Amino acid sequence: MDHPHSPPTPGPSAPPAADAADPGRRDFLGAALTLAGGAAVLLAGAEAAASTEAHVPPPGGDAYNWEEHRWAYVIDTSKCIGCGSCVRGCKAENDVPDGFVRTWVERYIAGPGGSYVDSPKGGLDGFPPVPTAFTPTKAFFVPKMCNHCKETPCVQVCPVGASYRTKDGVVMVDGKSCIGCGYCVQACPYGSRFLNPQTHTAEKCTWCYHRITKGLKPACVEVCPTGTRAFGDMLREDDPVRQTIDHERVSILQAHLLTEPQCFYLHLDMEVR
Amino acid sequence: MEHARHVFRVALVLLVVIAAVFLGRGFLVPRSYGTFGPYRADNVAEQMKARPPAHAGAASCTPCHKAKAEARAAGSHKSVSCEVCHAPLLRHVADGKVTGSMPIDKSFTLCARCHRRIQGRPEKFPQVVLEQHVTSKLEGAVCLECHDPHSPKL
Repeated sequence: MDHPHSPPTPGPSAPPAADAADPGRRDFLGAALTLAGGAAVLLAGAEAAASTEAHVPPPGGDAYNWEEHRWAYVIDTSKCIGCGSCVRGCKAENDVPDGFVRTWVERYIAGPGGSYVDSPKGGLDGFPPVPTAFTPTKAFFVPKMCNHCKETPCVQVCPVGASYRTKDGVVMVDGKSCIGCGYCVQACPYGSRFLNPQTHTAEKCTWCYHRITKGLKPACVEVCPTGTRAFGDMLREDDPVRQTIDHERVSILQAHLLTEPQCFYLHLDMEVR
Repeated sequence: MEHARHVFRVALVLLVVIAAVFLGRGFLVPRSYGTFGPYRADNVAEQMKARPPAHAGAASCTPCHKAKAEARAAGSHKSVSCEVCHAPLLRHVADGKVTGSMPIDKSFTLCARCHRRIQGRPEKFPQVVLEQHVTSKLEGAVCLECHDPHSPKL
């Protein structure tokens, strides 16, 4: 057990016969570390090479540069008459399957004696008069849709990278990647997503990305007869929507969840969740 | 080296596994994945041309329906786009050619969607209690007997 070239090892020693071939624990660990380090450098290098290719042209080509826009939406609940034109317009524009909506209208009827909320078919066919057991003192409509949050719970839970937020601030679903697991449907605190029964993939409001990238307004804004809905660009200083958000008293839905919605509400009542 | 053979065997297996992972990843991960973030970048362009815009706005109706468009623009329905009561332009016109007839809904239910008095509408918005406002039978195109939908004031 006297090896002049190696320091004495504590504990039980290896059988002498193995000595010649045994690289020794220290050597082995050293070599393994070197190998692991090398592999890490190699992988990191590949990753870095992929990201330094960064200056890729924006996906819209020359027609639309997503870095020049950041979209936002303003809903003035005091103007809504509950006609449901936005719900029908959205359905017609986006072929939303029967029984589902990408935007909908809720009605709140409230008084000291109680409150009542309804949204028959999302407001698709308008609203009927309803008898209430209490004496209402206020009633109003609240249009709802995807809030296109900056801190998106739905994107965070997607296991396959099918949900994402674009640079111009739109949250979308890649139908080709989506596996229809429905995590995002549950993660969205606003109930803005559903599983399309035909494609079995998650679907949601895209702010009519096929329209806004051509300079048009989303269909719901286009058909709103009262100016309840407004869509605008936060990167344009004179944009009416940006002016409203900058200067008026706006609120957002479920602010305590810190999702940073990009749909802003005017005249929102505290009854509304 | 005789006794180190098992190490090389393990190394070989590991190498094969790593190679299989990279090969599989190459096949399974979409080409444009990760260009801008953890998603398939090609989808952004796909979404842009997902479908042709269906709604085209009231101005697109004027060239062919000048009289109706002018009446609407001058009356109290000026903020109501043609497509609200009819249908998206794409149902009617594509590439400048008429492809189908535009639906014309004359029923009182269309008017009622906005003008029936219900809880929730802003007080100053013109609305009627249908049963009191319509003295004849409440059916079909009863509203149009008195009102012109393109310029609804009596």
